[in-house]
Amino acid sequence: MSNNKGTLEIRNLSKSFIVDNSSLQILNNINITFKSGSFVSIVGSSGCGKTTLLRIMLGLENHYDGEALMDGKQIVGPGTNRGIVFQDHRLLPWLTVGENIAFGLDKLKKKEKKLLVDEHLQLVGLNGFESAYPSQLSGGMAQRVAIARALANKPEILLLDEPLGALDALTRMYMQKELERLWLLEKITMIMVTHDVEEAIYLSDKVVIMSSRPGIIKKIIDVSSSRPRDRASSEFMQIKAEILEEFHLGTEYPFAYAI
Amino acid sequence: MKIVLHRLQLKDKLLGVIVPILVLGAWQYSVSQKLCSELILIPPLTLLKTLVELAQSGDLTLNILASLKRVLIGFLLGGTSGFVIGIFMALSPLLNRIFGPLIKALQQVPEFAWMPLIIMFLGIDEFAKFFFVAIGAFYPMVFNTYQGVSGVPEKYHELARVFEFKRFRYLTKVIIPCALPSIITGIRLSLGLSWMFVVGAELFGSDSGVGYLMTWGRSVFQIDLVMAGLVLVGVIGFVMNVILEIGEKQFLLWREPVNGRHA
Amino acid sequence: MKMFDSYKKTKKILGAIALPIALITLWQLITLGEFSATRFLPSPYKVLQTFVTLFSKPDYVHHIAVSLQRVMAGFLIGSVTGIAFGLLMGLSKTVEKIFAPFFHAIRQVPMIGWIPLIIMLFGMNELPRVLIISVAAFYPITLNTFAGVRNVPNEYFELASVNGYKGLKLIGKIIIPASLPSINTGITTGLAMSWSILMVAEIFIQTAFGVGTQIQRGRDRFDIALVIAGIITVGVLGYSMTLLVQKIVKAVERGRAVSTD
Repeated sequence: MSNNKGTLEIRNLSKSFIVDNSSLQILNNINITFKSGSFVSIVGSSGCGKTTLLRIMLGLENHYDGEALMDGKQIVGPGTNRGIVFQDHRLLPWLTVGENIAFGLDKLKKKEKKLLVDEHLQLVGLNGFESAYPSQLSGGMAQRVAIARALANKPEILLLDEPLGALDALTRMYMQKELERLWLLEKITMIMVTHDVEEAIYLSDKVVIMSSRPGIIKKIIDVSSSRPRDRASSEFMQIKAEILEEFHLGTEYPFAYAI
Repeated sequence: MKIVLHRLQLKDKLLGVIVPILVLGAWQYSVSQKLCSELILIPPLTLLKTLVELAQSGDLTLNILASLKRVLIGFLLGGTSGFVIGIFMALSPLLNRIFGPLIKALQQVPEFAWMPLIIMFLGIDEFAKFFFVAIGAFYPMVFNTYQGVSGVPEKYHELARVFEFKRFRYLTKVIIPCALPSIITGIRLSLGLSWMFVVGAELFGSDSGVGYLMTWGRSVFQIDLVMAGLVLVGVIGFVMNVILEIGEKQFLLWREPVNGRHA
Repeated sequence: MKMFDSYKKTKKILGAIALPIALITLWQLITLGEFSATRFLPSPYKVLQTFVTLFSKPDYVHHIAVSLQRVMAGFLIGSVTGIAFGLLMGLSKTVEKIFAPFFHAIRQVPMIGWIPLIIMLFGMNELPRVLIISVAAFYPITLNTFAGVRNVPNEYFELASVNGYKGLKLIGKIIIPASLPSINTGITTGLAMSWSILMVAEIFIQTAFGVGTQIQRGRDRFDIALVIAGIITVGVLGYSMTLLVQKIVKAVERGRAVSTD
């Protein structure tokens, strides 16, 4: 894969929904470039349009003003160059783990398919689970299968929609490490929507902060500290404070402000 | 724990035998004590003898095969068309608007009310029977398929779009498997009704089949034949249901939560 | 927006009646032409005529009344016994273990299979007709009542025992209301089954009165218009009864404030 592939550009993007005859602005004039090979998180409170933005990048939402460009070309619909991991793992319960990973590999020959499935099972550390059904997996394992399914298509960009949101705190921290490992290994662009500020700082090169009504980009914070990051370091804490301040949750504000 | 469970099940099974034994006992007793005429209530043993005789003479196999053939053809005709129409109705709002109300309206008519009409148009030959059975098989299939397919969650539709599925693959990999529990319910109901309608059609007029066995028994006032037919009807219906249940388990393995869940 | 709604509604109605109208038109056209089917097939107009004539005579109304009476009698017997039996099996595991296997075994025999036997045992009387209709209602009502009772959440039982509910109070205040949605499903299904088996009863167990008898008579006289008119009557009556029962059931549920979930 050539190095500059996997660039995603959003230009002057606005989107509104029509609810009860009146239009409700979800996204307002979004401008951002996701560089090839970077890990970017989008954080914001619920209703800020971050998931809508992700769905636009994925190609599931098509009616908006402005441009969404993938490697310079307008996104017109879903494509296998963009992988997606949803918050609910969305594995098909009637397919085995192996079949789920092979879900998007229909065009390949049986042998190639098997090779890719094995490779990605190994990648997410689930060797031996190929013939298990999703109902037999724990939440963390199921999400790893979902990641493997997305990566098996060899996407240039992996979109993550609160991928760890449904997991318990400890599994979540472990999966954050896993995601980092996969990102370093695959060297692809990853764009993650999350509402967990720590998660965003731990994983990202850039943290995009969005605010709601209408959804705008409030601030973009670069995180340049070396990996793996120490959640207890003062640098980490400082960035966290900086982000929380954007949500009026900074320590210097009286607590009442938060509401 | 397992042994205790096993014992419990055995005890339960024994409890379940009480009523049938009582019924059989009372029946045999009332006949042997001449409480009622043997012409009306034959003893269970005579029934068994009749069944054996029927089996030995080959009449049993012949009539069972005749009925099974009808049930199979009628079920395939009605079930398949119900399945196809159900899928189309669920996937196309236009077709649903066109066919839905008509099918609902026709469904209001009890199936057996169609029988005289079918006989007037098609006569009382084999094809009329297939047709009648197909009507019975059609409704549960069309409704359950429709329900299953229209109940496929939006999130799976999205998934298929993200992975750029073509129509056919989308149908076979996502829609049908997802709707399968409902479709299988449809198949079961459909086959059950098919069986009932075969017997009904044969009672109405036929020269072979389990239903014919019963009409014939009635016309020669041999109640043992009628009861033998009744037993056959029940047993065959039961066996068909068991076979389907086994098939269902095979198909829906993924639904079973496994005991030793990984944490 | 309002106009758009009514436009959508019109479209929906048009879609619904398009096919029936097309079929009826085709039917009328076929009967107008010189097709051989004409001999058999009466025109839609002829059927309408038959319909009007039928309803202008008190006879036909009497046939309908007899059928309705038959169905109601059978359905009532079937639902009362079905609810009682389902409750008993649901409440007591022992009762279930003793009767359930027998019940399920008997249930394997399609309703229609009993016809020759009950004719031999009871003759061509009103009793076997009502009996078979009540059995048709009995099965689904028993099954659904049983399932409803068994599926009462354990939390309710805990709540009840904490508050000292026992015996009849427990049944009346907790078990029956909680299983009501399921019982209602049983009743709706049971009614549909009764209505369906009414036709079996009237066609197979010969009788002088009833809508089914009329259909059968139409066949004997080779009067297809009469048969079709009978079929339509049966369909409309069945549908109205289903609607009525569903309304009652919904009203009961709302009155009890039981959620259907």
